[in-house]
Amino acid sequence: MTLTALVLGPIVAGLLLYALPRSATNAARAVAAIVAALAFIAPLVDPSAPDAAARWLSRPFTASFHLGFGPLSYWLVLLLALITFSAALTLKGDRAREIAAQLLVLQGAMNGVFLAKDLLLFALFWDLMLIPVFLVLITTSAHGRPAWKYLIYNLVGGLTLLLATAAYGVLAGTTDVIGNPTAHFSVVSAWGLWIFAGIAFAFLVKTPVFPFHTWMPETYAELPPPMVAVVSAVQSKAGLYGFMAITLPLLPAQMGQAQTLMFALGLAGLIYGALAALGERDAKKVVAYSSLSHLGLILLAVFSGSSLAYIGALVYIVAHGLFSAALFLALGAVEQREETRDLARLGGLAARNPRLAGALMLGALAALGLPGLAGFAGEILILTGLFKAGWTLAAVIALVPVVLASAYMLRMFQGIMNGPDVPDLPERRDLTWLESLAIAPLVAAFVWLGVNPGALTAAADRGARTTPPAAITSSVAVEAPRVVSSR
Amino acid sequence: MSSALGNFPIGADYAALLPAFIVACTPLAILFVDLFLRGSSMARRAIAVTLAVIGLLAAGALEAGAYPHDYAAFGGAFVQGGFSIVFSEIVIVATIATLLLSVGVGRTDQVAGTTSLVLWSAAGAMLMSGAANLMAVFLGLELLSLGLYCLCAISSRVTARESALKYLILSSMASGFLLYGSALLFGATGSVAFSSLATAPVTPLFALGAGLFFVGIAFKLSLVPFHAWTPDVYEGAPLPVTAFMSVVTKAGTLAVFARFAYAALPPDRASAILLPIWVLAAASMLVGNLAALAQTDMKRLLAYSGIAQVGYIVASFAGQSVLGLRYAILYLAGYTFMNLGVFAVVALMSRDGDAVVGLGRFAGLAYRRPWLAAAMTLFLIGLAGLPPTIGFTGKVLILAATTSAGYAWLAGVLIVGTAISAYVYFKIVRAMFARVDPAHVRDERSTNPLPWIAVGVCAAATFVLGIVPLAPSNILPLVK
Repeated sequence: MTLTALVLGPIVAGLLLYALPRSATNAARAVAAIVAALAFIAPLVDPSAPDAAARWLSRPFTASFHLGFGPLSYWLVLLLALITFSAALTLKGDRAREIAAQLLVLQGAMNGVFLAKDLLLFALFWDLMLIPVFLVLITTSAHGRPAWKYLIYNLVGGLTLLLATAAYGVLAGTTDVIGNPTAHFSVVSAWGLWIFAGIAFAFLVKTPVFPFHTWMPETYAELPPPMVAVVSAVQSKAGLYGFMAITLPLLPAQMGQAQTLMFALGLAGLIYGALAALGERDAKKVVAYSSLSHLGLILLAVFSGSSLAYIGALVYIVAHGLFSAALFLALGAVEQREETRDLARLGGLAARNPRLAGALMLGALAALGLPGLAGFAGEILILTGLFKAGWTLAAVIALVPVVLASAYMLRMFQGIMNGPDVPDLPERRDLTWLESLAIAPLVAAFVWLGVNPGALTAAADRGARTTPPAAITSSVAVEAPRVVSSR
Repeated sequence: MSSALGNFPIGADYAALLPAFIVACTPLAILFVDLFLRGSSMARRAIAVTLAVIGLLAAGALEAGAYPHDYAAFGGAFVQGGFSIVFSEIVIVATIATLLLSVGVGRTDQVAGTTSLVLWSAAGAMLMSGAANLMAVFLGLELLSLGLYCLCAISSRVTARESALKYLILSSMASGFLLYGSALLFGATGSVAFSSLATAPVTPLFALGAGLFFVGIAFKLSLVPFHAWTPDVYEGAPLPVTAFMSVVTKAGTLAVFARFAYAALPPDRASAILLPIWVLAAASMLVGNLAALAQTDMKRLLAYSGIAQVGYIVASFAGQSVLGLRYAILYLAGYTFMNLGVFAVVALMSRDGDAVVGLGRFAGLAYRRPWLAAAMTLFLIGLAGLPPTIGFTGKVLILAATTSAGYAWLAGVLIVGTAISAYVYFKIVRAMFARVDPAHVRDERSTNPLPWIAVGVCAAATFVLGIVPLAPSNILPLVK
């Protein structure tokens, strides 16, 4: 019941928001915040909610509307609810009602993605996620390009996922397999690699991972701040979650085969994202490219086959969600006030808006991996894990962009907040109490997780014990002789 | 009983055809009643359409009552069974929707006539859905087409004559191909029954006959490269007629194609003979969607989108698996609702239910008529294959059927075609949600509220079928 409500509740509430008059900004904001808060409380009150399942298809393979908490999904649902709550509080302007509605639909769809225990249901919510973001993009961006790029890229990913799901279902006889080790069907035929490729393509596009990222900077730049906070903080984690919760248990051998390629892509994204962020003048795109860099690091962790890195991956997924949402909300506040995101045109805001400067500073510090904040906890676990698992060279290369993060984050902060006053910038008031209230829980959460990541690491540890990440490398070792003998 | 009488028809034979008979005889009542009505009153239109709907509902109820009982009537010429019943029901539903759209279109003194022609065409499609020999196929096809030749010309638009003439000539040519193919098949095997074709040796004559038969089918289904007539005919014909053609013609022809592909070809040679058809289906998915990208008129866009959608359905038959047949029927039912839903929305956007609707008319629709825009968005999402609609579920099942039948390449083409189609359908969604100055958009409202019924039913079906995909399980036997 709790789980069904987590998925359908926000969607229904979002659609009902359209019944409000268009000018009811405050009411829309309140409804969205309350729904998000309820979605945050529900998993806390009922952490062991029983699975909800209903039969969907019987032939050609069985599929169910099957929702359930997993060790990872529990935290992602909480993260999503927290960020949706913060995002909802910052809603303003004449489109607040539409954005609030689509924000809630997106939350419901993403809860579906994380809670789905059936591969086909996962694919359904995966495609459903596209629609609210597209609908917001077409109303906010002046020209259609970002919307089309977002739609076509992600739809192609969704379709390859769908084809792979259908093929898996036909081979395995059921798609009701996520988080259920007894039902796992290991695909050993040549199909396995094709199925993995179809699923992985969808995940790589959604994350996004270099070189499938070209939709991302434009989408992030054009989306309104509340929406981009949710998309960058949580939607981008759907692919990484998929690798950890779906392909790792189902297709470990194929993950092992793709390991080198994924390391190459992850490292390329790490370095390219950091360099692009260093050179970018648009503040939102700086954060967008920094995400590309950070997510590349998580990709390495997921494919490393190390339990320590796997645990670090979950910590960093949550941490990145928290600080990227804080950054985008703070940047949104800057943009609303100064009507530009151009670092060259901004400057010296800290003197006039100290609270805004403080919020941006905390976000930037978490992003550059300051010890004591959640970003550091994730990074150190991942890098140690990589090093221990024998990926010395990769760990060394990955260190460089992690250091570069300090450079681009501080450059962005200084460009906006420090320096001499820019004469033609309009003078605006500091963060309102509502905006402060929106960013405060995010800051509190990444400080708390930075000091005490224990709850998260325990959950990730449980996940790592049910589906050992080492299966990636060991299955390669086991399979190799089999291939030789079959010749 | 039937052995004592030889092949002489008995009561049960006529009972199998009774639903089609009812649909074909209802026009007699309509035309008779219309003799006593004068002037251009709304009542005259209402009576004609009401009688027609009653006839169709009666036929539909009879068909449903017979499901899934199977019977081979007239010596196997018409096989009533789950297969024919499901196709007939699709035809009936589509015809009712068409009639809802047609109230208010055209001159009042023509309404009884046009309604009758629609019903006769529907009866033809119902015959095709059960036809199990070459003669019955031709009979149904001609009955279906003859009504449509007249219906295409009924509008006063300049393009209507062109549309009708084009349809007459090209469709007759297609019938010619089909007939010549049938003759060659008869010459090669000495029989017109599908069941005996399947046991005959595949001689060059047989292959040529089957090839010509398929050319005729491909013309009627408007598979690429036999599709060129479709956009022009759709554009010129009145909107309800276009809606009818886009579903009923395709449903009837798909029934014939499926039965021929599954039951009339020698099993060991069928996959080789049918390979060109799968290639045509693949080409239709790509060309249909690519051509739809460039369209600015709704009817032309829907013509090309229909070409692609039929490509998806035909792809489901690849490998002639029973599952593929079930999911093709499921997707056809879904396509029927999504497509008719779009047509109903378009009908609601013009005063007389039959104006030329360009894509520009959709600009800002979400702010002027939110319910209409919401329904349209659902239909377009479905046609693009996104959840939560039958378009999504149906497509997954088709993908599963084609990959399990060993036609993974066809599934790959389907994916590419769907990706292209996203731009086609979401272009309209984008227009609807764009903020525009209301003064720049012509906002017409239909005087006929009945298409709202079609919109509501189609939207509900599009959603519910996606959650509860009721693929018919009792669809065999195809021949007896």
